[in-house]
Amino acid sequence: MKGIEQVHEELDFWGFLEVGHHGMVHTPIGDVNLKTIVMTWVVMILVGIFTVAATRNMSVDRPGKLQLMVEEIFRFLRGLVYENMDYRKGAGLMCLIFTLFIFLLFSNLWGLVPTMMSPTADVNTTLGMALMVFLLVQVLGLRYNGFNFFKHFVQPNFLFLPITLIEELSKPITLSLRLYGNIYAGEVLIAVLLGLFSLTLDLLGGFIASVVWLAFSIFVSCIQAFIFTMLTIAYISQVVKEHH
Amino acid sequence: MEQIIKSLGLNSTLVAQIFHFIILLIFLRLVVYKPIVNIMEKRQQFIHDNVKAAEEERKQAEALRQSYLADMQKAKEEAQAIIQQATKAGEAQAQQIIEAARAESNRIKEAALQEIEREKEKAVAELRDQVVTLSILVADKIIGRQITQDLQHGLVQEFIKEAGDLPC
Repeated sequence: MKGIEQVHEELDFWGFLEVGHHGMVHTPIGDVNLKTIVMTWVVMILVGIFTVAATRNMSVDRPGKLQLMVEEIFRFLRGLVYENMDYRKGAGLMCLIFTLFIFLLFSNLWGLVPTMMSPTADVNTTLGMALMVFLLVQVLGLRYNGFNFFKHFVQPNFLFLPITLIEELSKPITLSLRLYGNIYAGEVLIAVLLGLFSLTLDLLGGFIASVVWLAFSIFVSCIQAFIFTMLTIAYISQVVKEHH
Repeated sequence: MEQIIKSLGLNSTLVAQIFHFIILLIFLRLVVYKPIVNIMEKRQQFIHDNVKAAEEERKQAEALRQSYLADMQKAKEEAQAIIQQATKAGEAQAQQIIEAARAESNRIKEAALQEIEREKEKAVAELRDQVVTLSILVADKIIGRQITQDLQHGLVQEFIKEAGDLPC
């Protein structure tokens, strides 16, 4: 049986770990994880290819498969948004929600391809996106409620300020760690199951379990992308709601 | 804080990822978002138009049906009227034919009666003629043998009477 570090090193087909200090590269903006960055680029290119391929030669009465897929995702997300907030406020957010969902979905699924890694299996990615959502929520709250927005921090009483502050701050943390934990755990388990291959017979050791886990990971990937998007919508809808 | 950041493995990747996401957002917004929204609006419009057209057509069909029903009703009434008229005309004609037949039969009956009368007269005349001839023959025979006073007298009397009755 191999250790997880060993499996990771053996899986390092593209040689990310050899660059810099164990895959960490020094750049003008600070240290970055090279593998995460490169995988993000790949995912961005994939998302670009997928969506552009789906939106070229669109037709109203005879939609292609890709077009239908993208449209269905879009319609589904739009349904979620319009259920939770006002039509006019929601329409402006659709692009963000759509990008968020499709990027997370592709990121999560990309880690299931051998030797690849989910950008979301790095806490930097998830925390970055969660912080962005957090900032967006604050900005939208200010924009739609003005100064009244600050009132909800001290809503029933001034004593509630610490509680509401913790509540607000816990949002991005839970949002990011949930996604990170699920996807990273999935990748770790894949690596562990791969490490089991040499222990016993392939079929009994890692193979069947690995296949089952991969199938489950696809499900988890979709669910986690959906949860992140759904929670984003919920947080935004809370602050753009009109208070009477 | 330093400890937490280090144990989580946070570094500048976070900033880079935010940047990447924003780039992707802008790209999708510029290249992909508009066609999707457009096509969905178009589809919405398409469905709306179709529903409207269907509604319009349904209304037209309803109107057409009404007009057909009215036409049919009218045709039925007309047919009824024509049948009635025809029946009436037929009855009148039948009456007329019966009248004509009756008149004809009367005429034929009259003619037949006249014919019978004439024949009868003709037969009587003929008979009378023969009787005279026969009488003369008989008289001849009788005269040839013997004539008694009485017989002669009777004969002559009768002869005269008959002769008086004769038309010629």
